[in-house]
Amino acid sequence: MNKLLQMENLERHYETPAGVVKALDGVTIEISQGERVILLGPSGSGKTTLLNCLSSLDSPTGGAYSFQGEEVPRNHSEKMTSFRRENIGYVFQFFNLLQDLTVLENILLIQEIAGKKDEARALELLKLVGLESEVNRFPGEISGGQQQRVAIARSIAKRPNLLLGDELTGNLDTETSQKVMTALVKACQEENITSVFVTHDEGLIKYATRVIRIDSGKIVSDELTKASDEE
Amino acid sequence: MVSVGVFAGLTFGGYSHNLDGMYDSMQADDEDGANLADIWIDNRTTSWSPDQVQSFCNSLEDSLAQSSEMSLDSCEGRTIIPGAMFHGEGDDQEIINSLWHGIPSDANSDRIWMPEGHSKGRVAVANDEIVIDAHVAGALGIEIGSEVTIGAGNNSADFTVVGIGYHPLHVLMAPEGSMFPPDEGEYVVGYLSDSGISRLTGDVLGTSNMIVLDVEGNPSFDLPDTEEYEGDEIDEIKFYVENSLNSTELDARVRDRGQNEQVEVMRQDLEASKRTTIPFTVMIAAIASITIVLSLQRLVQSQSKEIAVLRTLGVERKSLMTGYLIAPVAIGAFGCLLGSLAGPSGMNWMLDFYEDIIGVPIIERSIPISTYATVIIPTMVIVFLSGTLPAWKASRLDPLEVLSGQTEMRVGSNTLRKLTSWMPTTLGLSIRSSVRKPIRLSMTFLAVGISLMLFGSIQMMSAGLEDTLLSGIEDDQSWDAQVFINPDGEGPVLEWAGNVSATSELLIEMPLGSVEDDSGIERIFTLVGLNNYQNGMRQVNLLDGDAPSNDSDAFQVMMDEGAMEFLSWELGDSQTVSINGVETDVEIVGITRGEMSRTMYFLRSDLSDITGINATSVYLDLPDGVEVNTELGEVSVGIVERQDIIDGITSLIGDQTKIFQAIMYLGLLFTIAVMLNTMIMNVAERDFELATLRVLGASTKRLGTMLLFESLLIGIIGGLVGVLFAYGGAVGLAASFSSWQFYVPIVVIPSVAYQLMGMVVLIAVAMTPIGVWRLRRMDLVEKVKDLSQ
Repeated sequence: MNKLLQMENLERHYETPAGVVKALDGVTIEISQGERVILLGPSGSGKTTLLNCLSSLDSPTGGAYSFQGEEVPRNHSEKMTSFRRENIGYVFQFFNLLQDLTVLENILLIQEIAGKKDEARALELLKLVGLESEVNRFPGEISGGQQQRVAIARSIAKRPNLLLGDELTGNLDTETSQKVMTALVKACQEENITSVFVTHDEGLIKYATRVIRIDSGKIVSDELTKASDEE
Repeated sequence: MVSVGVFAGLTFGGYSHNLDGMYDSMQADDEDGANLADIWIDNRTTSWSPDQVQSFCNSLEDSLAQSSEMSLDSCEGRTIIPGAMFHGEGDDQEIINSLWHGIPSDANSDRIWMPEGHSKGRVAVANDEIVIDAHVAGALGIEIGSEVTIGAGNNSADFTVVGIGYHPLHVLMAPEGSMFPPDEGEYVVGYLSDSGISRLTGDVLGTSNMIVLDVEGNPSFDLPDTEEYEGDEIDEIKFYVENSLNSTELDARVRDRGQNEQVEVMRQDLEASKRTTIPFTVMIAAIASITIVLSLQRLVQSQSKEIAVLRTLGVERKSLMTGYLIAPVAIGAFGCLLGSLAGPSGMNWMLDFYEDIIGVPIIERSIPISTYATVIIPTMVIVFLSGTLPAWKASRLDPLEVLSGQTEMRVGSNTLRKLTSWMPTTLGLSIRSSVRKPIRLSMTFLAVGISLMLFGSIQMMSAGLEDTLLSGIEDDQSWDAQVFINPDGEGPVLEWAGNVSATSELLIEMPLGSVEDDSGIERIFTLVGLNNYQNGMRQVNLLDGDAPSNDSDAFQVMMDEGAMEFLSWELGDSQTVSINGVETDVEIVGITRGEMSRTMYFLRSDLSDITGINATSVYLDLPDGVEVNTELGEVSVGIVERQDIIDGITSLIGDQTKIFQAIMYLGLLFTIAVMLNTMIMNVAERDFELATLRVLGASTKRLGTMLLFESLLIGIIGGLVGVLFAYGGAVGLAASFSSWQFYVPIVVIPSVAYQLMGMVVLIAVAMTPIGVWRLRRMDLVEKVKDLSQ
């Protein structure tokens, strides 16, 4: 498999009145094309900080981070935004769909921002996540699980190289979580999208090809899963 | 906003209160006042001997003593004559159009007003002494002890200035019949003693062309700008005056205070100034309330989570409501305090300004407690009520709904979706976001509209007025100088014109027309008679109909649109009017625009037939390099140059606008504040949306474009609303200012509307960088945390 990204000895330290907080303390990982990675760890372990650094929402204070062989921009808001626009898809815990736009328009908006507007693909993705009958409805008119599936379709609509999600089923019941994750895995497989998800839920491991556990800003384990063997 | 509202209320309230006292001080019947006469009896085409005057006064006093409970304090003869002042030396000598009064030093009424600390010297006693009106003394560099040369008719004489003071008939420093004060120093009024005027004219001491009556007490007179008729008391005196005039065989015009233009115009100007302060204060209060409601609602909205937590922890609704009610009351009290402290300065500034414009000192200055109460109490009530709705909303928030995020869920509008689905999604989103809260947006537009009403209505009205009046005299008239003459005195003027190769045209112009309106009130208007209206030196802006011709049996006339409206006359009507006391039938064949005073236009030959006067002045079109000179001054009774009138109109409108400049700038300030408030609220409320888009890769440029589009949209709609409000305000202001004496037509000048639109759009667009700045400062890591909670 082709290497998609590489982090080497990555650090994210914060200066606080109580002293320096090491949210990430020398993280080294490599993620290859097509992997579905789950980041597990207790609260405050640094997994969300790692996700923020992966997405270039946050700038590491030390170490190296390259994406497709190129250094990822840091400390430059516009370049970081540009990196996200070109490479990253993001799924939020609370979906964050724009409520003035319909389901379809939410997807078209992201395509438009990325300069890849393609209504046929947007409709195809909605079909993929099982929402072809809801295209003209507003987010406020559909259920939470449906909204999260729209968010997934939105996140992959511009064909990102890397799809990220932070507790993306944290706001859903078990049955809906399974539906959402099934839709997500299906979409990632069909689109050959690499994904990294942060979660507390050990039950989601079955959807991943790799599980990385993190604690106190350090990686404590990094294992391939059964799904990885099957694929 | 509260402090600005209170400041404005106290400024205007105090201003209005003290203006009331301004003319009271001047006209008062006491040692310090000028004791304005109650009735003026005059005839400008003749003069009465001292015996005739005495005979009339005796007759009137006897009639009143026999038949009425009213009595006279005084009945005095006066002379008022137009003339000229020869100012300067040699080639630099300037002939200034002037008016000379002869006032006995022991006069009872219509005296010179010489307020302590605001005037100099004393009244004229000897026959070579003169008091110069304070409006012009400074501009001409005249001081006590200065020697001046003045003329009237063919006579001239030197006088020593012994005083600089004011007169209640000359607050508006404009020649009779004109509303436009020429530039300072271009029109002089001087007050001679009775012996002084006798020396100037060569007439016997006591010869008069005016009799002034001071009636005991304060008889009421009709105010022409009111619907009611208040003139019953003065009418009783006027009845006896008419009888005495008949019995003594004097032919004269009789006017009370309401009919004396020089007094009435200023009273109406004052009333209009006072009247406008009320709607302006109400408008400011309305803007302040809207802003407070919007801001408090935003405060509640932004604190909804804290409120929910407090409610979850058991805080009672009553306590929350009290807390949110105390906030506006505290804000209101602080604002009132600041406004009260600044109010007196604002009032003094406005009074100084009015004093500068009118040129009369405003001596009494104070803000009564009642004004403080009438400003502060309603303001506090408005502020309290403004806080009630947000406070009630705060107390009604359901903690479960807020904490679960349900209050933030809403369903978009299908109508908006259909309307904007053809647009790029980002633009569609901008529009939908802008109108997401229609009530708030409407309130914003309402506040912007009112703000622009403050700013734009005055601008729109004055621009329309200036355009109408100036285009009339600049474009439709071609004369350089108007030379006033005595009856049959045109010969020497025409000879002078011939000598310098100037073109001349005779005209009749005099304020001697009158007609009774539907309410039975006698309305006086100016009569103008010209040779023709097609290719003479004075043409008119004909709104409808035709210029008069002599083809018809009846006298054909044109009338200005203001008079037509007030009298409810129609084109083609035949009406009976009084022309210099002669009942005359006229046919209205045209309606004109461009006159501030009410005017009826005749062919000169027709008017001459009616009045027996060939001409009252001569228009001169001077060749290049020729100017009016002393020789012309000596054969005339006054000269007015067209350029001076143009400057006078510009200056008058400028001055009238200046008094409202404070209000205009307040309006502009409010527009900026309201727009800024709304735009900041819009951007702040959209943090969620903008952060989501930023995380998903939208550049600040793209988001900035969205914000710019939103700003443009709000700006354009706000601008349109503003222009409509400003137009409405201009119509209201014009109606408020319009009276028989002043008619203010509303002419929409497109450039003013564009300016207003442009200004609002500019303010809205100027807010975009604030949104972009917020975007750039947005901490996305923190925002993602918020989005995940």
